[in-house]
Amino acid sequence: MNFLNRLGIGTGAAVSPTREVARSLAPTGGRPRTPSAATPGAVVGVAAARSPDPRESNRVSNGLKELLWNLDGLGRGSLLDLGPAWQTTLSFFIERGFRVSSEDILHEWKDFLVEEETKLRAAAGQLPESVDTTPGGRAARFLADNLQYPNATFDAILLWDLLDYLEPALAKLVVTALTDLLRAGGVVFAMFHSKKPDGFHRYRVADSNTLQMISAPMLCPAQKIYQNREIQDLFGRYRTMKSFIGRDQLRESLFIK
Amino acid sequence: MWKKEDVKSQGVGEISTTAVPVALPAAPSGIARDRDSALPVSPRAAACISHGIRIKGEVTGSEDLFIDGHLEGKLNLGNSTLTVGPNGEIKADIYAREVIVRGRVDGKIVGREKIQLWSTGNVAGDLQTERLVIEDGAVLRGKVEIETGKPVRIIEPRAAAAAANSSLAPAIPGSAAN
Repeated sequence: MNFLNRLGIGTGAAVSPTREVARSLAPTGGRPRTPSAATPGAVVGVAAARSPDPRESNRVSNGLKELLWNLDGLGRGSLLDLGPAWQTTLSFFIERGFRVSSEDILHEWKDFLVEEETKLRAAAGQLPESVDTTPGGRAARFLADNLQYPNATFDAILLWDLLDYLEPALAKLVVTALTDLLRAGGVVFAMFHSKKPDGFHRYRVADSNTLQMISAPMLCPAQKIYQNREIQDLFGRYRTMKSFIGRDQLRESLFIK
Repeated sequence: MWKKEDVKSQGVGEISTTAVPVALPAAPSGIARDRDSALPVSPRAAACISHGIRIKGEVTGSEDLFIDGHLEGKLNLGNSTLTVGPNGEIKADIYAREVIVRGRVDGKIVGREKIQLWSTGNVAGDLQTERLVIEDGAVLRGKVEIETGKPVRIIEPRAAAAAANSSLAPAIPGSAAN
């Protein structure tokens, strides 16, 4: 067990490929994939053209539909995608005239935690007093190098379900930072799990009302399940909030600044 | 760290046969598949900076280049292709006709015709190109600017006014037609 896991914010154990495959195969009965084939990279086309992948499942997304409705007629808008850089998501928005910026915050957060752990190990638990090891201090250090877009404003931000996986102190600061980056009237698209998520998924846009959920090795364990009131408090500076709850208990929310 | 191990586990000459990147932006009829058999993924390029070599400064050239080492500075290949190998680490702004990234790049990439990020590619910087191919697993931290390839004519207001005047009273025969 590593230092950060002991603190309860560790980077999580990556799900073993075989277990992951077994789990994802259970409902579909597809052929198991070799670990090398399970590596990301087997893109064969967009949703309609791709062969079914046991790691993927589609979900109808009313939140995405509503987001696009809000962005309709914007012309050349700007969008910040805080998930992994997927070809389909980028093409989807670029074809609609958006300038897209991409930053996989959760990936950066995991790298940051690993780096912090290395520093902790090197210092053998005796860090200089100037280093703030509280969650707030860690969050501030992380944001000093991330989400840095000086002079940029965005019309839309794809936040996905990241807040569930970030430390609450960091989640709060991330929302504040995003609010500053969003223009007035801009939209944040976020997702929240209503119960502890079963497995770890990344999301990408398949078409204008469908999201693809891609099962992936866990980057970080879920840190918090937000209740309605807590979500409203987090996004207190936004004038409108719309939520759609799916059968899988995943809540899609739109926040309009 | 997991990413480095991931990168090292793939040899220079390995080609993922399952990966079929998709070109972006897609043609209006759909997304074009792009299995480019001529992808330079190994040191078959005319010039090669291999693993273990470190360069600090400006690199310019007109031949295809494969970099599997470290480069810090500036890289301008004009009309050629740059391939950053799985062990390649570049801290530089890159200008080339086509750029293929299998390693790490920290800097702006301008690939006039195409930029490809392989699954092991990790880019921190803005991308500017006509076509972008991103494999699943590639890490990108930056802005993407896709240019349509159609040349945009920008007319300065003063030049436009001059052109309008010259069309009214051409000083040089034929200039009005231009």
